[in-house]
Amino acid sequence: MEIAVTTDSDITVFALQGRLDALSSPQLEERISQWLEQPGDKLVFDLGELDYISSAGLRVFLTTAKKMKAHNGKFGMAALRENVKDVFTVSGFIAIIPSFDTLGAAKDALR
Amino acid sequence: MPGRMESLHDLLAFISGNAARKGLSPAILSRIELVAEEALVNVFMHAYNQFEGNVEVHCPLRDDHSFTFEIRDEGISFDPLSLTEPDRNMPLDERRIGGMGVFLIRKMADQVQYRREGNSNILTLTFFNR
Repeated sequence: MEIAVTTDSDITVFALQGRLDALSSPQLEERISQWLEQPGDKLVFDLGELDYISSAGLRVFLTTAKKMKAHNGKFGMAALRENVKDVFTVSGFIAIIPSFDTLGAAKDALR
Repeated sequence: MPGRMESLHDLLAFISGNAARKGLSPAILSRIELVAEEALVNVFMHAYNQFEGNVEVHCPLRDDHSFTFEIRDEGISFDPLSLTEPDRNMPLDERRIGGMGVFLIRKMADQVQYRREGNSNILTLTFFNR
């Protein structure tokens, strides 16, 4: 999996590419916990290039959502593909993490 | 194959390859891959948490439009269906992390059967095309 981190004014974007599964999720977990040591207030996961997610990936999303909430930050995700959205819907996580059709819409909502 | 995480991608490729030949819809193929990962990871983490062993995957041929695969291991007795479901209506702060894999298996597979045969755990998962 590829993770590209960019910051646009006060919004940090984690663009995830490839597969977020039991093998690759520790990679995201490590990257996000580093960022959470000195977190910004606004975080978006851009999932436009994410092909696949399993419960191991959901786990990292849930931990991130809890930590962002704990310091009153805003957290959202954008551009979910059909199969990824299916996993979020069936798991119920779609109700926990605000989801937007595009990265632009996510940034607008968090501003 | 060895029942550990390093085998995951090869086993998933085998299952997905067999499923793809059945002409199932992309949505079902995605669900099959996800359920396969969740079931295999459970074997690696739970059935083989005390000692190492092998995992076998079979995809029996069927004439109808369903797809079945069977995961067999010789780990400790582990029935994933015995785990309690997470409460999806819990607020964020109270959501527990565990149990989501089994929950996804139950929701996404059309039929899930577990049996213990001798020293083996056998999990059979069936999907119908739609």
